[in-house]
Amino acid sequence: MTLVDARGPRETRAAGGDSRRPRRGGLRRSSARLGWTFASPALLVVAAVMIFPIVFSIIMSFSNVNVTGNGFQLSGVTGKNYSILFGSPRYWHDLEFTATYTVVTVTIEMVLGTLVALVLERLTVARGWLMALLLLPWALITVVSAQLWAYVYNGVYGVFDAIMNSVGVHNLNVLGTPMQASVAMGVADVWKTTPFVAIMVLAGLVMLPGEVVEAARIDGANAWTVFWRVRLPLLRPALAVAVMFRILQAFGLFDLPYVLTNGGPGTSTESLAVLGYKVLFNDLEFGPGAAVAASTALVVLVVCLLFLKVFRTQVGEQED
Amino acid sequence: MARRRTKNLGTNIAAIAIAAFVALPLYWMVASSFKGQADITSSAAVPPHPTTANYGNAFSNYNFGTYLMNSAIVAVATTAIVLALGTFAGYALARLPMRGKTAIMTALLMISLFPTIAVVAPLYLLLRDIGWLNSYQGLVLSYTALMLPFAIWILRNFFLGIPKAMEESARVDGAGPVRTVLQVILPQALPGLFTAGVFTFVAAWTEFIIALTLNNSDRYRTVAVGIALFGGQYTTPYGTIFAASAVAMLPIAILVLVFRRAVVSGLTAGAVKG
Repeated sequence: MTLVDARGPRETRAAGGDSRRPRRGGLRRSSARLGWTFASPALLVVAAVMIFPIVFSIIMSFSNVNVTGNGFQLSGVTGKNYSILFGSPRYWHDLEFTATYTVVTVTIEMVLGTLVALVLERLTVARGWLMALLLLPWALITVVSAQLWAYVYNGVYGVFDAIMNSVGVHNLNVLGTPMQASVAMGVADVWKTTPFVAIMVLAGLVMLPGEVVEAARIDGANAWTVFWRVRLPLLRPALAVAVMFRILQAFGLFDLPYVLTNGGPGTSTESLAVLGYKVLFNDLEFGPGAAVAASTALVVLVVCLLFLKVFRTQVGEQED
Repeated sequence: MARRRTKNLGTNIAAIAIAAFVALPLYWMVASSFKGQADITSSAAVPPHPTTANYGNAFSNYNFGTYLMNSAIVAVATTAIVLALGTFAGYALARLPMRGKTAIMTALLMISLFPTIAVVAPLYLLLRDIGWLNSYQGLVLSYTALMLPFAIWILRNFFLGIPKAMEESARVDGAGPVRTVLQVILPQALPGLFTAGVFTFVAAWTEFIIALTLNNSDRYRTVAVGIALFGGQYTTPYGTIFAASAVAMLPIAILVLVFRRAVVSGLTAGAVKG
């Protein structure tokens, strides 16, 4: 081992002479084969159980799907499922609701999350404890938080109504009124997810080069200017990752509306995923249901492609 | 000096406000789980007549014990398989020369963020065909595929941080590739394994839509589905729901608090690289 270290890889190769060169090519090829051997079990499972079903959803969405008690058949190629979908005001409402909800909650979560991260960064006492506390909502089963907020917002005995009564606002029916139900759901979402954003942003803050901030300060910039002109621009890659994660998660929103409001009142808080689930498993309409699922996946794919540069910098350009 | 103190004061007040915003709903959940039927509709901050009846009720009148066992079996099995497959895949994608690594990593990251509704219908139909609805293996297989992409991602990032010299010296010592990974790389990557493990376990423990679709019989129901479906059509037994919720939160809370560092480094795996 010391021998190898002393001579270094280049000298070793030179000492081996010409006869080593083809063997190195072979070594490279064999370790590429080893790479695929190591990676293929995991990649095959992902391909079979994630990618294949996504493709299958798309195929189903263009077929007549006949599901019986013990099997299913696909027949023909048809645009019928999509014409049902696009002709339905409920679909357009749910698309609009999901998109608006995503934009509004992600914006609020990013602003609050950044503020929380700034507080965490400056905090000198009990920082570890606060971080631990912040992790709890993130790790909580979403269904549990949905039940908890349903109880808080309960129109008869909810503690939210009790608090509002004490400041003179009476007869609220939060979950029974479309706009209020959407806002209430957003609050539950912000409660559960802002901590996640805060910790991601904090990691970005900690990584910032201290010299740059120091230099700006010496140049006479105040804290406000340093934040807006120096730290925030440097923080952009970290913020982009958090935004991307949150947009894609929020677009698949299901657990919270399914349990908290069941999409109601009416269909006012119905997300695309809840619509897809209801069409699939309540109405047992697998063709149109697959069309909802596939079109949601398509929107997500488009968002992914818009963020492709962020993905790329995440993966890093190190093709071997 | 005075300036510094006011700065700290502002930070501390903000920190207390954040802590209260996060902790109060959780406190309300735990407090309500100790309220009896008569008190569950009261907004008293402290249960007037604390009782553990809800906890007994969750286990005796509902099959919450079965749900807990189902969730534990599925989450542990999923975590074990994801770590076993993910370690080798993550190592290969970090270290070994393969074509298209960037494309594979990009695709994996996208898949890990894809909405589950996109796969749930085909999974239901295909697993029904082979008789795997209401089983452990159907759910474990689905969860393994669902959670592998992110686990591979975390593990690869950790492997990238391990000095290459370690493997080279192992190779010189005559260790085969599998032994190199298991005996040389794995001990170095232990924090990464904890991180990927905690993330996978939490994801499997909290997952809802696939469990709701595939395992709807009471016998194979998981905790998340059980808590969502507690109660009858007209009444919601909140006391029992929150007793069950508190019990379900306990293992996750312990896991997250014990492996706090691992979780934080997992959440930041993306940001750190950027």
